[in-house]
Amino acid sequence: MPMSLLLIIQLAVGATILRVLLIILGSILIGWFLAYASIKSPIFENIYIPVISSLESVPVITFFPVVLVIFVTRIGGAMGSELASDFLILTAVAWNIWIAQYQAFKTVPKELQEVAINHELGFFSKMRRLYMPFSIPKIAANLFPSFADGLFYITVSEVFSIGTKTFSVFGIGSIIPALLASGDIYYMWVAMLTLAIWVALFTFFFRYIARFSVAKYGLDTAAPIRRGGKVNIMHTYQAWNTLTGPMKKLSKHFTSPFRALPTKGSFGRKWMALSSSKKYITIGTFLLVFIMLLAKIGLYVVSVPLSYWRYLVSYTPVIIYGMAFDYVRVVIIAFISLVIAIFVGYYLAVHQRAAVTVFPVIQIVSAFPAPVYFPLVFAATFGYMYAVFPMSSEIYVLLLGFISTFYYVFYSFWMGVQTVPSEFWEIMENHELGFFTRMRRIILPATFPYLIAGLSSTIDSAWGGLMIGEYWPDIIKGKTLEVQVGLMKMLDVFTYQGKIGPAAWASLLFAIVVTIFSLFFTKKLMTMAREKYVIEEGVYAA
Amino acid sequence: MSIGVILSAVDISYKFPSGKQVFTDINISTGENEFVSIVGPSGIGKSTILRTLGYLIPPTSGKVFLMGEEVKKPSSRISLIHQSIATFPWMTAIDNVKLALIGKGLSQNEMNDIARNTLETVGLKGAEGLYPKEMSGGMRQRVAIARALAGSPVVLLMDEPFVHLDELTAEGLRQEIYDILFNPLTTLKSVVLVSHNLDEVLELSDRVFVMNGSPAKIVDELIIEMPRPRSSRDSRFSTYLDKIYASLTPTR
Repeated sequence: MPMSLLLIIQLAVGATILRVLLIILGSILIGWFLAYASIKSPIFENIYIPVISSLESVPVITFFPVVLVIFVTRIGGAMGSELASDFLILTAVAWNIWIAQYQAFKTVPKELQEVAINHELGFFSKMRRLYMPFSIPKIAANLFPSFADGLFYITVSEVFSIGTKTFSVFGIGSIIPALLASGDIYYMWVAMLTLAIWVALFTFFFRYIARFSVAKYGLDTAAPIRRGGKVNIMHTYQAWNTLTGPMKKLSKHFTSPFRALPTKGSFGRKWMALSSSKKYITIGTFLLVFIMLLAKIGLYVVSVPLSYWRYLVSYTPVIIYGMAFDYVRVVIIAFISLVIAIFVGYYLAVHQRAAVTVFPVIQIVSAFPAPVYFPLVFAATFGYMYAVFPMSSEIYVLLLGFISTFYYVFYSFWMGVQTVPSEFWEIMENHELGFFTRMRRIILPATFPYLIAGLSSTIDSAWGGLMIGEYWPDIIKGKTLEVQVGLMKMLDVFTYQGKIGPAAWASLLFAIVVTIFSLFFTKKLMTMAREKYVIEEGVYAA
Repeated sequence: MSIGVILSAVDISYKFPSGKQVFTDINISTGENEFVSIVGPSGIGKSTILRTLGYLIPPTSGKVFLMGEEVKKPSSRISLIHQSIATFPWMTAIDNVKLALIGKGLSQNEMNDIARNTLETVGLKGAEGLYPKEMSGGMRQRVAIARALAGSPVVLLMDEPFVHLDELTAEGLRQEIYDILFNPLTTLKSVVLVSHNLDEVLELSDRVFVMNGSPAKIVDELIIEMPRPRSSRDSRFSTYLDKIYASLTPTR
């Protein structure tokens, strides 16, 4: 029944997109309250911000076994699968939005706060009239990456297997594999096209929102305020401009490079201002929570038999070995992404006409989830590839990693280049600096915080690409894409075989390594970038 | 081009991509060791005209000549000092200045020597290793001036260079700037200043072009004949001031 199949496809795309959008909306609503709590309570702030920053730097797939255990095995049924899928999306979309909201709340100008105090605005009034509107440009800047990230994971989390059991929720991520399996290639293309159209429309929509939000809610913006009216789609040039324009204006609202983490000094001052009784209550609460947490973990550890711990620990060497292989893959993907981002990003930044055309295309393609179309790329090329390169699985995995992650560093670098003040461009022109001198002395240092932030996101997302690519049973009928060694393959295989314990153990070790990497490498580079490479300090205007 | 003319703009016009004509038929020239200023109401296109003189923005029509040779691209021979003081925060004072010397075939030692000497010229001896954030606004602007001078410019274009400095610092720098710029050690032959501050313009300039109208045109040209150092208490100062005000007020 082709007509009903067509309808199912439309509904499935709708369900998938709606799922992502509702979770983004939910994240925004929760994020506002969390942000408010963090600016009001230094204690909450000092726990909340490091926690979400760390969670953001842990790749989403780390949550996979946890999700499976909690939602699928404990809750079970359709509700369990739905919640598992929703939780995975939440872990992909929430952190950057929450950090953006916190940053916005933290940077509300003192003068505006004083007006709110002066007029004795209550909590809801302050939220509605000051904090929420002020945070909108920053939220808008983060809508697109969240949407793209959410879609990427929903297409792999709408259907998953544990042992012999397959769990699925209604959506395009479960429909496409079903169509592929039943040989309905025509309808599979229809499904992909439908998704592509919706992704393109939402990309336009987010950019329109971005433009509108900066014009209306941004401080000191030259963008004219739109007071209603319709978008004239006949004016294609203007339409394309809505695709490139807002991102430039949004660059100052982009979250990642300038994470305003609470400083020790500010915490110290607020702490000193607390009365003795409040200090004792705070310390007491902290200790209580800490002891309860320790007790809970202790009980859990004791409840697991020692032999099972030994069994889990015995996997450690092979997990570390696999992780080392995957780090090499991630470094290759990150390096290629970085080089392309720098050259293409710079070219587009200095050739605005090219940017007007190319940038939206890159953005739409990047928002289209790679796991949906990758099997087709594989099907079209694997015969030739394996005949010519016996190691083609590696190439496919690196390619999947690249296409699912390149965008972050590219977008971030491009944003960074947009923030280089016009004065600096004029100095480069004036002193006739060549391309490499410009890059080495000005562009790369000026965009350093953006590059680190983009690279960090690229690395995090590369893990997701590897997770999907390293072990992909039946990528096309009768063919499995798999690599020889890799931690992500190990996680896939453990999950596939229903070995949740070893999968959780591997995830835990992986999360520890990633967090250490984040603390000692990414955060150090970020701190250096914040201290030394602050482009805003380059132009002095008293 | 006549001998002695350093920079000249012949019939230059500029139109924004939106179609708005900013200025039209502008003819400006500067002589050797001459300090020229352009004044005009806010938003009239003074900064744009300055950038067209350095070809940082190519004029829509007309030509710019530097010592008789047509200017077709930006070069460090016509150097711009910005209104917002632009120094690279990740470079020390000396590295900021050395930026102007890259690609000129100099060794590191030669670059260091020139940069040090230029910093000394602008009164920053001993501050070579400081980063911009460790300097005051006045010191930063001196670094920007030193960078412009290190590139051996023939013409210096100054876009309200003192506007972001406090009055005391600005006055101190204004008093020194003429001697710094026309120091025998520099290659500089002309300066073009854009400013709102008419006192500043009269204190520094040999010649003043007044812009007005829409699209803007040169509506007056005054030769300032007062000995240096100049004082605003000088009666001729007020006379010149009145003349400039008279040219500025009627049209807009």
